[in-house]
Amino acid sequence: MSKSISAPLARTARLLDLVPYINTHQGIALKELAQHFEVTPAQMNADLMTLWMCGLPGYTHLELMNLDFESGFVSIGNASTLSKPRAITFQECVALLLGLDLIASSLPSDRQDLLTAAESLRKRLTEILGLPIKLFVEAGTSGVVATAIAQAIETNSGLKIRYHSLYKDQVTERTVVPVNLYESDNHQYMRAFCSTAMDYREFRVDRIDQATPADVFAEFPAKIDSTEKLSFSIKIMGSSRDVAERFAISHSTIGSSIELSSYSRQWIERSVMASGEAVLLSAPQEIRAEIAKKAQLMLNRYKEA
Amino acid sequence: MSRKIERLINLTIALLATQRYLTKSEIFRTVQGYEGSAETKERMFERDKDDLRTLGITIDVGSFDPIFNDEAGYRIRSENYQLDLGEITPTEISLLSLAADAWQGAAFADATQSAILKLSSIGVPADPIDIPGLSPKLSNSSADLETVTAAIASSDFLIFDYLATNLESQERTIIPFALSNRTGFWYVSGVDQEIQEVRTFRLDRVQGVIKQAKNKDPFEFPASFELSEADTRVSNRSAVIDVRKGKGYALRRLAISVKDLGEWDQIKVPIHTLETLGAEILWHGEDVFVHEPAELREYIVKQLQALVNNHE
Repeated sequence: MSKSISAPLARTARLLDLVPYINTHQGIALKELAQHFEVTPAQMNADLMTLWMCGLPGYTHLELMNLDFESGFVSIGNASTLSKPRAITFQECVALLLGLDLIASSLPSDRQDLLTAAESLRKRLTEILGLPIKLFVEAGTSGVVATAIAQAIETNSGLKIRYHSLYKDQVTERTVVPVNLYESDNHQYMRAFCSTAMDYREFRVDRIDQATPADVFAEFPAKIDSTEKLSFSIKIMGSSRDVAERFAISHSTIGSSIELSSYSRQWIERSVMASGEAVLLSAPQEIRAEIAKKAQLMLNRYKEA
Repeated sequence: MSRKIERLINLTIALLATQRYLTKSEIFRTVQGYEGSAETKERMFERDKDDLRTLGITIDVGSFDPIFNDEAGYRIRSENYQLDLGEITPTEISLLSLAADAWQGAAFADATQSAILKLSSIGVPADPIDIPGLSPKLSNSSADLETVTAAIASSDFLIFDYLATNLESQERTIIPFALSNRTGFWYVSGVDQEIQEVRTFRLDRVQGVIKQAKNKDPFEFPASFELSEADTRVSNRSAVIDVRKGKGYALRRLAISVKDLGEWDQIKVPIHTLETLGAEILWHGEDVFVHEPAELREYIVKQLQALVNNHE
């Protein structure tokens, strides 16, 4: 596969791809051609010079490709052997299929026209692959929500969202003004000014299940970092991949103590609870007490039942 | 350098134009650029073939001519060389561009751009899709996607160290045949060579680099495998739990059935492993109560007892 092809090979590929492209874009400006292939006009000129020397065995004017580019506009003739676009490679095909799957799963369900076109492309690309392999991408975000957010950011306007806060385990409706989207730990987040909290908040995009345009009247302030991180420390009591991933810690030998911090007290409490016997929270004391109390209450309920 | 490039182009044209296999001596005689001693030409040709294959060009080797039946012949079949996507519409071109853009800054950004360059030669203009802001991106959780794809293409082995649930690193050898991305994570599925069963692995749980090793034996693709089977939501065991009204959204999303009990709802959820479901239940604290199965109840009680002991 084309992990890192050398410069001469990349140039060979470009020359092979130039022929069909010029063939369907006869008379294209050399500058524009250079731009399309992402090279300088001088490089393009050199490419065309090289191509000009190529053709069928015999290599008289009868067999050579007929290239005209002196005028600054490029046209080609006598190039039927290379005139069709090159086949896409297995890797290119896999990459397009995965991308297409993502696009298809992000499309609004009322766009049957696009969904049908995507399905038809998928069939044809799968045929090119020629192997019964499986490829699948599921967009974490609904297309409608993603579109609404992108539009709101572009026009600097408000959105009414229905959001599931995992830490509070609550679904709330709020009006926000999205600022930007970013990716962290494999998830997409939206940074927005929240008019309920009157402050900036981060929202995980896949937990927004509805988003509709809304008017926002409140003036919102420039970012002030008002929330302070809460320090806590845990002791590892058992080996668990879940725990390592939950607390984003790479080294967690049994018995080791780790200092961490979080913006959410609820997150700390719930994360320790979810880790069960594998994690001991050593500080802060208030959360320790809260966990002991909750666990005891729950235990009582199981014992009564 | 440009002589070598010329020679590669001329070789491609000659092998594409021919209706029959060309022998090496014919190639050396007619294709421009093969010069020097017999040995030099031989070496040049071997390298040129490798180079063209690296570019994804398939060269057929064979001989149908009885006169030359002891000498191999070469040709490139136009059906292998040329793109065949059938009739393509301006909307389809736009969808493919979006598909390529989804890889922006990620593993296959170069591959998709080179595919788009080829597609642009068809000469069909794109018809922009009238959905503003539609530009989903694929997360780049693994630099190993190229190795995985290469192994899938040739049914080769993938060898890697995988972090098990107990945090131990185990060496796995699989023949991969599926690649998926869900909730932002990349997964590869393949036949685990030790147990000869299909297993699915999350790529960010691989420790170090994934290695590819040649597999010479034919590989039979598991016919019945569906990617959804790799999903934790599919399981033949289920649990019955109570969830407080207005709470437990993450668990409710997994529910197979829901019964209204007033202040609570009783839901049925599939059990993939006791540990995963157990953690999800404990996360929700007093808002969730387990009825069945006994095994899950015992597991939760044991965890709660440890939580009390550890935090009193």
